[in-house]
Amino acid sequence: MTEDSINNGLAIMDGYYRDYGGRAGELKNQGRQVIGYLCALTPVEIITAAGFIPFRIKGDVNEPITQADTQMETIICPLVRSCFDMALKGRYDFIEGLVIPHACDSITRTYDIWKYSLDVPYSHLINLPHSTDDSSLEFYKQELNTFKRGLGKYTGKEISDESLTRAVEVYNQSRSLVKELYELRKPDPPLISGTEMAKVLIAMMSIPVDESNELLPGIIDEVRQRDVAPARKSARIMVVGAQVDDVAFIELIEDSGADVVVDDLCPGAREYWPMADVTDDPLDGIAGRYLRKIKCGRTYREVQTDYQNSLENRFGHIRQSIKDYNVDGVMLYIYKYCDPFGFEVPAMKSYIESLKIPVLYIEDEYSMSTIARLRTRVQAFLEMID
Amino acid sequence: MTEQRKPRKHATEAAGRIAPMVKAAISENLRAKEEGKLVAYTFIVCAYDEIIRAMDIVPAWTENYAAICAVKRDAQRFLEKAEAENFSRSLCTYALCGLGFDVWREELGAMPPDSPWGGQVRPDMMLGSGQMICDPRNKWYQAVQHYMPDVPVYEVGLPWPPYEKDYDYREVQDYYIKYIVEQLKGLVEFLEHQTGRKMDWDRLGELVDITDKTWNMMWETYELRRAVPTPMGTGDAMNTMVPISFMMGSQEAYDFYKDLYDELQGKIAAGEGVIPDEKYRLLWGGGLPSWFALTDFNYFNSKGAVFPVETTYRIIEAVYNFDIDLEKISDPLEHIAWRWLKYWTFWYDKARKRPGSHPDVERLIQYIEDYKIDGVVMHEAFSCRTWHPGLIWQLNQLKKVYGDIPSLILESDIVDISSYSEVDTHARIDAFIETLESHKRG
Repeated sequence: MTEDSINNGLAIMDGYYRDYGGRAGELKNQGRQVIGYLCALTPVEIITAAGFIPFRIKGDVNEPITQADTQMETIICPLVRSCFDMALKGRYDFIEGLVIPHACDSITRTYDIWKYSLDVPYSHLINLPHSTDDSSLEFYKQELNTFKRGLGKYTGKEISDESLTRAVEVYNQSRSLVKELYELRKPDPPLISGTEMAKVLIAMMSIPVDESNELLPGIIDEVRQRDVAPARKSARIMVVGAQVDDVAFIELIEDSGADVVVDDLCPGAREYWPMADVTDDPLDGIAGRYLRKIKCGRTYREVQTDYQNSLENRFGHIRQSIKDYNVDGVMLYIYKYCDPFGFEVPAMKSYIESLKIPVLYIEDEYSMSTIARLRTRVQAFLEMID
Repeated sequence: MTEQRKPRKHATEAAGRIAPMVKAAISENLRAKEEGKLVAYTFIVCAYDEIIRAMDIVPAWTENYAAICAVKRDAQRFLEKAEAENFSRSLCTYALCGLGFDVWREELGAMPPDSPWGGQVRPDMMLGSGQMICDPRNKWYQAVQHYMPDVPVYEVGLPWPPYEKDYDYREVQDYYIKYIVEQLKGLVEFLEHQTGRKMDWDRLGELVDITDKTWNMMWETYELRRAVPTPMGTGDAMNTMVPISFMMGSQEAYDFYKDLYDELQGKIAAGEGVIPDEKYRLLWGGGLPSWFALTDFNYFNSKGAVFPVETTYRIIEAVYNFDIDLEKISDPLEHIAWRWLKYWTFWYDKARKRPGSHPDVERLIQYIEDYKIDGVVMHEAFSCRTWHPGLIWQLNQLKKVYGDIPSLILESDIVDISSYSEVDTHARIDAFIETLESHKRG
């Protein structure tokens, strides 16, 4: 571990956040191979076990979408369009492959556009089922096996169970460290701001997991040992949504006088808290994590007994976070054209409100141009909580 | 509220029979409920049509009811009702219309005032579907359940293998089939539990056979439209999709296409086309139609353009063209699963033979050649991320691997009329006709 990573981890992550992809490009120049992927539902363990650096493609809220519109309809999720725009503009030219999970229509139905337009030597779509029953889990495991076999064929070397287990363990370690960092948001005021946290998590999407694991203990110590305690703010907020890969909205909330103390986002608690079980056949643990443990709106959760039970199954983890992090208000932050999360809004909103927690629902467009308008709504909501 | 408009003029007698058939089906749903029969909300192209029928469950096709509201230009009030519940207006408007209707009906405990064709029946169950396409198929009914918590939802996984460079779909098809069969078995168990009856497997087998026959008959019927002049256009096909979409697994559906086959043969023998002077033959190459503006097809006709073929709602292939013999698969669930998988992978082999091609593009090419097509028209519906992503890309790719052909992408929606301007749409069609003309002149 270097001196830098012990004392300066937050600043390093901030640098990776600002120069997103810079580190992956650097490693590519040093001879490493990078595979790009979309969505937290991509099993990065398999990509890592094959010897690649998994790199999550992200958009840029500051960059107007231009080139993507010549190939991709504007009715598609603006985040996906922005990601594609960045890729077309050469921001991620260091990737040699693309992996896409069957996440949502905006991702799945544009797979061919990505594949043919980027013309990378390797691409693969993993068919993640919508249901979580046993036959769906078995099917998904078969899909992971097909992916594993195909990627091994591409590299010319079969992916061994040992390397997969090692990858599972190293990602679990990463997730444990992130959870530890989340614990530092429980005090009032939290020891690490929502903006700082988001930068760390977003930066982690772009660097090898080993490097994250090297930096995170230092960051945890750095935060714990801060000399000056942050000022207490008016409200403790939880943000819930799909993929939020920019700090603009979280920064807006914190600039408006509140702390973002927890979330159900990707990257965020939804993605980092669930661990993969270490199993004899590593694909069992990986399949269970992505199909059953990650509670994303795109996955249908079977109603076991009655509707109330179904709500608990879908949103109970949000209730738990509200309690554990002493949350005063929840902001549902959903992008336009997002069917998996858009259809959740009334049920999720009424579920959270039934806990006597106020909810602000915001539909946004993945662009800095909307921030001024959102500020007024966020401030009004915070005043109402206050 | 409802805007009274003149019905669209049909080229075929068969298409003219559709509206009364749909109206009768909606009435039948309402009557079934009164008679104590079980009604299920369900989606078209879900592979389990025969299973529902074999269990004597009455299907209520929720996309269909939303389309009816759109055709009658009476969907806005339901969309607004859904919006008032915090459903974004950018979501699938079939779903929003249905949700708005259901929310309203639940509030009133009765049908909303002046509901189109008597209204949509309150279901006893809702059958969702997780596929490679269409998020609303697993989100819509879950969202409805918030307003009808007593109505159970069952979700069926129905994937198919993606088109990939690094492996042939046949390498994975066996585990896909195994999974689909397991999922269908789960549905049968759910329905047996709901109805208190056991599945009649012999009857299911009969319905599966009828469906195969119907697919073949529909394919042969639509192939007749290759004739010049074409005896039937896409405007009519947006009606004649009803039996295959909403009546699959019934003798009535088969008989409908047999009648249509005979009618088209008669027209071909008489040299009778959709329009007397056919100048431009167009392919409707993708996108669901604007149900509130089907008369645009007549506008095309008025400019000398006809649509002998479309990809939309041609949701069948002749099963004898598959690379397996379905007749040899006696287990009805396996039979359904193979038919499903082979339909979705049908164009894969062809695509592999043309460098840079893709199954969706290959299908366009085949239709362009078989139906002597001069131009391609598509429709981008803003609220649907199922069928409408990739249209621009398909046209770009078509140009790359096949050649230049005039094309037009119209923009509006399936249900939400506020996205539509007749003046602008007609102006774009006029401009496209000019392009076709200059392209023909070379």
